[in-house]
Amino acid sequence: MKTMKAAVLALTLAAAFGGALPARADETCNSPYTTNLIKGQEDFVHVWTLGVKGMGDESDKLVTVDVNPKSKDYGKVVHSVTVGGRGEAHHTGFTDDRRFLWAGRLDDNRIFVFDIASDPAKPKLVHTITDFTQKTGYVGPHTFYALPGRMMVQALSNDKDHGGRTGLVIYNNKGEFVEKYDMPTGKHGDVMADGYGYDIGINPQKNALLTSSFTGWNNYMMDFGKMVKDADAMKHFGNTMVMWDLKSMKPQKVMNVPGAPLEIRWSLKNGDNWAYTATALTSKLVLIKQDAKGEWQAKEVGTVGDPSKVPLPVDISITADAKGLWVNTFLDGTARYFDISNPEAPKEVYQKVIGSQVNMVSQSWDGKRVYFTTSLLGNWDKKGGDDQQFLKLFHWDGKALSEKFSIDFYALKLGRAHHMKFSAKPANTAGLKERFAELASNR
Amino acid sequence: MPILRRVRAAATALVLGALLADGSQGASNAELAPSTPHQDFVAPAPGSYRLPPIQHAPNGRVVDIDGRTYALARYTRDRVTLLSFMYTYCVDPVGCPLAYATLTQLRERLLRRPDLARQVRLVSLSFDPSHDDAASMRMYAGALADPKSPVRWHFLTTRSVADLKPMLDDLGQDVSVELDARGRPTRVLNHMLKLFLIDRDGRVREIYTTAFLMPEVMFNDIETLLLETPRAP
Repeated sequence: MKTMKAAVLALTLAAAFGGALPARADETCNSPYTTNLIKGQEDFVHVWTLGVKGMGDESDKLVTVDVNPKSKDYGKVVHSVTVGGRGEAHHTGFTDDRRFLWAGRLDDNRIFVFDIASDPAKPKLVHTITDFTQKTGYVGPHTFYALPGRMMVQALSNDKDHGGRTGLVIYNNKGEFVEKYDMPTGKHGDVMADGYGYDIGINPQKNALLTSSFTGWNNYMMDFGKMVKDADAMKHFGNTMVMWDLKSMKPQKVMNVPGAPLEIRWSLKNGDNWAYTATALTSKLVLIKQDAKGEWQAKEVGTVGDPSKVPLPVDISITADAKGLWVNTFLDGTARYFDISNPEAPKEVYQKVIGSQVNMVSQSWDGKRVYFTTSLLGNWDKKGGDDQQFLKLFHWDGKALSEKFSIDFYALKLGRAHHMKFSAKPANTAGLKERFAELASNR
Repeated sequence: MPILRRVRAAATALVLGALLADGSQGASNAELAPSTPHQDFVAPAPGSYRLPPIQHAPNGRVVDIDGRTYALARYTRDRVTLLSFMYTYCVDPVGCPLAYATLTQLRERLLRRPDLARQVRLVSLSFDPSHDDAASMRMYAGALADPKSPVRWHFLTTRSVADLKPMLDDLGQDVSVELDARGRPTRVLNHMLKLFLIDRDGRVREIYTTAFLMPEVMFNDIETLLLETPRAP
């Protein structure tokens, strides 16, 4: 049965040709328990962008777009920082104080640290971590999730077999290695842990760290069309999620969640004890919630599109009030909005085609602005004319999306638009050194 | 009642108010308002987990409530230390007053465990040396700074911002001065609330921001460090 499903899946994906997977981001989901998130109008969107051979300087870069409608540069690229080379730029994450943005590359394992706070319109590269694999044995620094004073990094692979077994890494905010933790393997209760990793989501009031699972370097660096025809490769996708005791960093429970569960979004409402994920290969929405006995359970609560067509759910974004959920499906380039007022029974209430392909979705805290980008992985994006690469902003009035601007990253020779993070101009503040003397004199 | 005591009492009242209101202050949606921390789990037992060293405590010079200057290391070695930054006139209910309330709770727990109390110290270091001089810190501290207390609580400041800033930078403790509409500094210092748990060898072993200020967990973390054998010098 499983073999047949895999074959159907592979055929469907092969027919679609060129599609792909993962993503993660957005303001409502950005380590929300650390510093304050942007709850008003964001000023800039920073897009971590894959370089393309023969295009512009060909290198991966951090592209900054002015998104404040009051600005003369609204909807324009105002800055970019080239980091040199193409290493499969993928995901990013702010430190707890939002001063620095960490950005990883899945192929050469470099991690770039940008100073965003000094001048959000002009981020500066201030540090590069080059020994990620030497320190950890892991490959593919993917998710960057802020802890107090440090950064938790979820890797996707390892340097022994480049498969899916991997682990979590802690750095301090200076970029110094602190500790690493292997993802669990072997039998945990009735579930065989696969040791794979993908995303991170934390609920501090539950001491809960939730991780999901994807696939290793052998797959994410392979040509997508080739991979989906490779039956052996298709067996190597994650089928589990792990609930960890955050304080002790010990796995508490391994849950069966077949089909590569990707992005994790906790409800942000005080007292809520549930999170969502979407499975890329089986198109399911999965609720992870405590049962009446307080035990964590994962259960399918809905489907995304028609699973038989494998629309390939990628990034998801939960609204701040945890009543709505955006889910992108890559292959049909569609954004879908689910009413999750009852998280046990999500209902799709809206969908819109954003482009020929779509990956990341990030929404503002008030839910009124929704940004989309396109790239999954260099070898997984669609080919030819369907390989659109853009950043689009839509306004959401609760009923429909209306496009406000679109930036064609290929036309600007910037490359493939991937992960997004928001920033804002500093509040009306000054540094201690500059202002304390004046402060004292005013007293 | 001295004015600083009144400020402190008002600040504590604000914290308690925030706790009672479950973090609904100042927000249109109470469910999404900045909230005080909430612990809905059983804290892991002391010694059942590790706290990997995150970084070294910074170096620097500080001033005690008697106006004497010492190396900060005097207050970050040999005992387990909980270090936080504050300023005496802070009234943000989820800022310094919340830290103060948390530290007060921890102090009371430690007083009930005299075997632990003498191995622990609390340190509050001012963000604002231009206002919080030694005399101000003494007044703010009151009886809490009693050197005969089994739980020592040190209220410190610095001679200048030049002395303070490198310590803040080393620890990654952000702070900025809020300006008014005309660009003049106000009495509000924006900062992310962080408490640093430092072991007897001067290494930061845990950092608590607002969502993680859970006295039961913090107490167990302290005990976990005390169960370790100190490193040889």
